[in-house]
Amino acid sequence: MTVATRPGADADRAPGRLAALLASPGARLVGKRLLMAVPILLGVSVLTFWVLNLIPGNAAQQLLGPEATPEQVRTLEQQLGLDQPGYVRYLGWLGSAVTGDLGTSLVSGQPVTSQIGERLAVSGELVGLAFVVSLGLAIPVALLAAYKPGRMFDRVSMLVSITGLSVANYVLALLLVLLFAVELALFPAIGFVPLSESVAGNLHSMALPVAAIAFPLFCFYTRFLRGDLVDQLQGEDYVTTARAKGIGPGQVLLRHAFRNSSFGLITVVGLNLGTLIGGTVIVEQIFALPGIGQLMLQAINTRDFVVVQACVLVFAIVAVLANLLADLLYAVLDPRIRYGSR
Amino acid sequence: MAVVDAATATVASRPVGGRAGAWWLRNLEIAVPAGVVALVVLACFVGPLVLPVPPPVGGSVLESYLDAGSPGHLLGTDPNGNDIFSRILHGGQSSLTVAVAVNLLGLAVGGTLGALSGYLGGATDTVIMRVLDVLIAFPSLVLTLAVAQSLGASQTNTVLALAFFSIPAFARISRAATLRLRELPFMAAAQLCGTPGWRVLARHVAPNIAPQLITFGMLGMGIVIVIEGALSFLGLGIPPPAPSWGNMIAQGQQSLSATPMLVVWPCVALFVTVLAFNLLGETLRARWSGR
Repeated sequence: MTVATRPGADADRAPGRLAALLASPGARLVGKRLLMAVPILLGVSVLTFWVLNLIPGNAAQQLLGPEATPEQVRTLEQQLGLDQPGYVRYLGWLGSAVTGDLGTSLVSGQPVTSQIGERLAVSGELVGLAFVVSLGLAIPVALLAAYKPGRMFDRVSMLVSITGLSVANYVLALLLVLLFAVELALFPAIGFVPLSESVAGNLHSMALPVAAIAFPLFCFYTRFLRGDLVDQLQGEDYVTTARAKGIGPGQVLLRHAFRNSSFGLITVVGLNLGTLIGGTVIVEQIFALPGIGQLMLQAINTRDFVVVQACVLVFAIVAVLANLLADLLYAVLDPRIRYGSR
Repeated sequence: MAVVDAATATVASRPVGGRAGAWWLRNLEIAVPAGVVALVVLACFVGPLVLPVPPPVGGSVLESYLDAGSPGHLLGTDPNGNDIFSRILHGGQSSLTVAVAVNLLGLAVGGTLGALSGYLGGATDTVIMRVLDVLIAFPSLVLTLAVAQSLGASQTNTVLALAFFSIPAFARISRAATLRLRELPFMAAAQLCGTPGWRVLARHVAPNIAPQLITFGMLGMGIVIVIEGALSFLGLGIPPPAPSWGNMIAQGQQSLSATPMLVVWPCVALFVTVLAFNLLGETLRARWSGR
C-alpha cells in the first residue's frame, strides 16, 4: 500500500521496470484514489470518535454495573485509559491504527483486530453469497426481459422487482423464517454452523439469511439492468450499426448492449457492496449470525467503543475499496477508458 | 411541462379511456398508487377519530391474544391486550410523520447545499462534497444508535438522526441537476443580465430542479419508512408502549411460531405503504427521464 500511494514521485527520476510499472496509468489511478480515500477515512474516524463521546456512560460503568462506587469506576477508567481527554485518546488510537493495531476490546480484553477478522469472514460470506445469487439470477432475467420489452415476461419481472424492492429486509427475513423454518421446517432459523465445521451445514444455515439479503438486490439489479439495456437498444448508434451489419437480435443484446450496460451495473454493485456490509446488522440479528454487524450492535450496547470504532473503520474501508475496484474494472472492460493518460 | 408532454404521449400509445376520459383513467399508474397513499394517510390520521377503535395503549391483559374478528377488535389484540388495528393506524401516524419530516429536511438543506455546490463550483463545491462523502461513508446505524442512546429514543431524535442521511442524497441529486442546468443558455442570459447569484438560484435554478427533488422525495418516503421501522425494530426508534410498525414487528417476533399474525399485520401495512410510494416515485421518474 505504501508503494502504491506514491507512484508518480519516484517514477520520473528513476527509470526502470519497477518505475515503469509504478508510472503506469493503472498504478497512478490506484495511488490517486487511495490518497483521496485518506481524508474520507480520517473524517469518518473523527466523526465516529466524536459521536461515540456524546453517548452518556462508558465501558467502566457498564462493566462494573449500577452497584459500583464512584471510586471503583474511576480506578477502572484509569486502567482503561478512559480518563484522558478525547483528542489524546483519538491520537493514541490513530497512531496504533495506522500500524494495523486497532486496540484491545474494553470488555473482553481481546485484541480487536483478530476479533474483527473472524466476524468479517462471516459477514463477508453472507454478502458474497448474496451478490453471487442476486447477480446470477438478475442478469439472465434482465436479458430475457429486455429481449422483448413490453411482453409478458418483461411485465411480470418488472412487477415482481418493484414489489420486491418495497419489502424491508427485516420483513422479508421474518416471513422467510415463518414459511421455511416454522411452517415447512426446511431450514433452521438460528444456529450458525462455521464453514470450518461443515461446508454443507454452513450453507444450510446461511440459506435464509442469504435469501433475505439477495432478493431485494436481485430486484434492484433486474430493474436497473433491464432499464439500461432497453435504453441502449433504443437509442444508441452502435446498436443500429450492428443491426445493419445483419447481426441477430440475440447477439446484439448479448455482445453489444450488455457489454455497455455492464459498466452501470458494476458502479451500482460497487456502491452497494460498500453500504451492504454495514447493512447486514438486522439480518444478522434476526438469524443470530456472528457477523460484524452483530458485533457492532453488541459493542454499542456495552459501550465498548474501541470495537465500535474499529467496525466503523472496517465498513468505511470496504466502501472505499469497493468503489475503487469498480473503477478499475471499467478500465479492464472498456478500452476507451484509460485512466491517467490525460 | 414535461409531465404534460409525457402524459399526452402515454395517451397516444395506450388509449385507456381515450382522450375524453377522466384524467385518472388515463393515468392509472399515477392514480392508483396516489390513491393508496391518500387512503393510508386518511386511515392513519382521520381513521382513529371517526372509526370506533379502542386506544392503542392501556389495554387489559385479560384481553390479550384475541383472534382477528373478535368483537370490537377487527384484527385481534396483542400480548398486552391492545387492539392491533388501532396500533397499526397510530403506528402509521408516527411512520408517516417521521418520513415527511426527514424528507422535507433533506429537501430543504440537502437541496440548497447541492444547488450551491453545483452553481458555485470550485472550492465551495469541493468542501461541501467532501463533507457529504464522509457522511455517506459513515454507517447510518452507528449515528442513529448514538443519537438514540445519547439524546434518548424519541420521534424528534429519530427525525434528526435520519436527516443526516437524507441530506447527502438530496444534495447529490440537486448538484447533478444544477450542473446540467448550468450549461443551458438561459442561465448564461440571466448571468449576463447581471442577476445576482442568489436570485439566479432562487428564480431559475430552484424551480427547474424541484421536480427531480420531489420525485426523489417519493422514493425517499419509502426508504425512510423502512429505516424508521428498522430502528424501532432494534428498539432505538419510537419507544414502546407507543406503537410503531417497527416495534410491533419486533414484539411479534418473540412469539413468531405461536401467533404469526402479530408480525404479519404490521408487515402488510409497511409493505403496502412503501410499495405505493415506490410506484409513485418510479412512475414520476420515468416520466421525467422520458422513458
